Amino acid sequence: MAADKSLDKSEVLKGTLDMLILKIVALGPIHGYAISQRIQQISKDFFQVQQGSLYPALHRLENRGWLGAEWKMTETGREAKFYSVTKKGRKQLESEMAAWERMSDAVALILRTAE
Amino acid sequence: MRWLTLLFRKTKLDSQLDSELRFHVEQQTAENIAGGMNPAEARRRALAEFGGLESRKEEARDARGTHFVETLLQDIRFAFRILRKTPLITGIAILSLALGIGANTAIFGLIDAVMLRMLPVQNPEQLAQILFRSPTTSRLRPNVTNPIWEQVRDHQDAFASVLAWGATDFDLADGGQENTVSGIYASGSYFKALGVRPAAGRLLAPSDDVRGCRGVAVLGYGFWQSHYGGVESAIGSFIRLNGYSFPIVGVAQRGFSGTDVGTSLDVAIPICAEAILDGKNSSLDVRDDWWLSLMGRVKPGVSIEKASARMQALSQPLFGAVVPPAWPAKYQDVFRKYSFAVLPAANGAGGPFGLRSQYRQPLEILMFVVGLVLLIACANIASLLLARSAARQREIAVRLSLGASRGRLIRQVLTESVVLSGVGALLGVFFARWGSTLLVRLVSTQRSPVFLDLKMDSRVLAFTIGIAVLCGLLFGILPAFRATHVSPMSAMKEGQSQGAGGRSQSVAARWIVAVQVALSLVLLVGTALFIHTFTNLMALDAGFDRNNVLMVRTNIHNLQIPEPARAPLYGQMLAKLQAVPGVVSASQCWMTPLSGMQWDNSLAIPGGSLPTGADSDILLNWVTPDFFATMRTPVVEGRVFDARDTATSTPVVIVNQLLARTYFPGQNPIGKHLLANNKDMLSKQPMEIIGVTQDAKYTSLREDFRPEAYFPLAQIGAVGEDTTFEIRTAMTPGALIPAVRDAMASINKSASLQFTTLKQQADDSVLQEHLMAVLSGFFGGLALLLTAIGLYGVMAYVVTQRTHEIGIRMALGAQQTSILRLVMCDAAMVLVAGVVAGLLGSIWITRLVRQLLFGLTPNDPLTLALAIAALVAVALVATYIPARRAMKVDPMVALRYE
Repeated sequence: MAADKSLDKSEVLKGTLDMLILKIVALGPIHGYAISQRIQQISKDFFQVQQGSLYPALHRLENRGWLGAEWKMTETGREAKFYSVTKKGRKQLESEMAAWERMSDAVALILRTAE
Repeated sequence: MRWLTLLFRKTKLDSQLDSELRFHVEQQTAENIAGGMNPAEARRRALAEFGGLESRKEEARDARGTHFVETLLQDIRFAFRILRKTPLITGIAILSLALGIGANTAIFGLIDAVMLRMLPVQNPEQLAQILFRSPTTSRLRPNVTNPIWEQVRDHQDAFASVLAWGATDFDLADGGQENTVSGIYASGSYFKALGVRPAAGRLLAPSDDVRGCRGVAVLGYGFWQSHYGGVESAIGSFIRLNGYSFPIVGVAQRGFSGTDVGTSLDVAIPICAEAILDGKNSSLDVRDDWWLSLMGRVKPGVSIEKASARMQALSQPLFGAVVPPAWPAKYQDVFRKYSFAVLPAANGAGGPFGLRSQYRQPLEILMFVVGLVLLIACANIASLLLARSAARQREIAVRLSLGASRGRLIRQVLTESVVLSGVGALLGVFFARWGSTLLVRLVSTQRSPVFLDLKMDSRVLAFTIGIAVLCGLLFGILPAFRATHVSPMSAMKEGQSQGAGGRSQSVAARWIVAVQVALSLVLLVGTALFIHTFTNLMALDAGFDRNNVLMVRTNIHNLQIPEPARAPLYGQMLAKLQAVPGVVSASQCWMTPLSGMQWDNSLAIPGGSLPTGADSDILLNWVTPDFFATMRTPVVEGRVFDARDTATSTPVVIVNQLLARTYFPGQNPIGKHLLANNKDMLSKQPMEIIGVTQDAKYTSLREDFRPEAYFPLAQIGAVGEDTTFEIRTAMTPGALIPAVRDAMASINKSASLQFTTLKQQADDSVLQEHLMAVLSGFFGGLALLLTAIGLYGVMAYVVTQRTHEIGIRMALGAQQTSILRLVMCDAAMVLVAGVVAGLLGSIWITRLVRQLLFGLTPNDPLTLALAIAALVAVALVATYIPARRAMKVDPMVALRYE
């Protein structure tokens, strides 16, 4: 079943989903639906994030104080919850990105030298 | 506190979450429509892509962090709703829990009051009891003489302070029927060293306790409330104790009831006042009258072990200074080797005769028993819930498919069972209050009243809450896992609710019932042992007839009569009593049977030595001639005392058969002589044996017969002030009391009288055995009932499940009896497994109660057989009812059902 496959991918994602969200929200205030669209666009459909699973993650980040939220009007005139990155969230994003880079460098190095 | 605010903003947050997700779905739908789908399809796709709207909401709420508390409240509300839906099951469960938890709380409350609770004084952990041991035995002795106390008081340096007290009864009445209160002789340091504060007035000071004192009295708080209404003006008034007046100087702080667990403290007077009450019999300077208990408070920072070592080092000089001069040299040497021992006494003094040592084992056994009952009750509820969980599979399946996680549902079901046991515990606390008060009343006798402060302290409360939660989890966990172990698909299908899941449920239920059977058997064996012990005690021939005997304990201390005039006064009293209408016969003696008191000494055979195997310690008593007729103790040889036996005639003695047989084996004891060691009370001349009586119990029904000798009152040298008249009547003994009181008053109004019956005294002496029989009978019965309900429930459930199968069998020609056999076999397997396990368990566990049994061993085959028979009989009845229903299954109906 398709649901099962996407589950596998989201396993890979679990640690990095938070980072992706922070990165996207860091570009400017944005609502949940737009975040899910953006993730799919940027990753060229590689990350099949089941849309629903985005919200628990958003609420978790908000709860930790990494994201702030505000109810604002969209361009279509509807009210939506817009998220933005807090100071604490920015710090978190930087350290996570640094960690990620270190890791991907390390993995790349291993892959190269093992050839 | 953030989560608390969040908790209260829950509704708002929930609606925001709703609109946020709705916004997402609507955006997606709009986009899909824009992509060319029709609106319905667009929305369906949007929802599918989102994936489980409700479960996402649940996860998002989880992320909020307050979710646990929220859902807990929600679960509890839901639990109450579910429980109300099945009032019968809920009612049975709550009632059995209330009984089980109530019984546990009651017994634990008693254990707390008797063994665990600290004395309500300052820094109780600094208190230590000072005891001593003789080099010849290992047993600690709790009581010392006043000379020993004065040595310790004046010369010890092991403790910051030491205190002494001697428990006693005081009579408030000036003659006539006694009105006793429990009191102590207290050292001047008593209250100060314990750190007890006055509730009114002042407490004893060292200056109150000096030789030759006039005496002052301090009241206990409860006594002050009950006898003086708690008014301040009581201070300065006088209280009459045993006919002497003492000024009341103060009241001890509320809640303090002395250092002896189980007694109340009504009045305290200084030790020196003993000389006022006992006059020339005073024990203050007697070096072998053991009536005081000692405690010390360690210096800050000094351990009790250190104080103990120091006291031990002091033993030789302290004991050496107060050796009883009249003792034979051999015993004096032993006395010099006595050594002190110190034990922690934070929760009160305990002695070998104290309430604590007497009831420790029974209380521990009862705790075990009620624990088992509670386990059985839990097992019962577990099987009830299991049966119900089968019925709830549809509900659970719906919730699972709507996105609830299994863990979440398990939590819900567990919350239900904890709520259930919480309600049971609440009710149980009321049972417990009532039950423990009742228990204390049951163990309290006229002669030794028991006073316990049964307040529900934090320890008992924690215990009750603990077992309530534990029970809830215990009986909830299996049903919870079973109930949620369903595949939504199959459970949702019509008619499948009693499918595969149900099958494994009935296996689990069978296991539970087997455990119940085993536990009940252990309880029943215990019950049978204790009941047997009690009936053995009641059925044995005590050597006297306890029915229809009124006993009048008479104290003539107030009369201040010199010793030589006492016997003639007793003679007058006895004559008056014999003339009271309705009296069959009357007599007087010093030691009444089963009173717990004894007079014993050795008697020598003049010109000979004791044959081997003869017990040198003989129980003694002095009696008037009609004693044997009144007690109906048969005289098997010779004659009883009569008018011929006077102070000047040949000294005579009557012995029991055991003495005759062991002291004069193979000879005729009549005409033989015995010689007394005790020159005070008994004749200095050899005493001639004139009669032999049947053996009779003396201090307790449990003890073996011992050699006993009776002397005539007329030949007793030192007649005491505290004796007892026995009156045999054809009427109810109690009906005779007014006439007896008048008869005694006509001789002298000042004698103190205390009435009881020989039957009552005998019953009191086996109180503990009676209590164990009644209580274990009650709990054993309860366990049996619970097990029967459990077995019935499970078999009924199994039969309902197998209705279809049974229908097919019958349609294929099976006889009703073979169906019956089918069901009964099913039950028999459970029963046999349970009985075997229970039998092994009870053989293993009942070894521990050997000491409490009488006339049988823990593995008494008859007792075991009876217990098994009772259990099997009840189990068969409980199984037969559902089995009969299975037999009556109409194959047509059963098959159409599907």
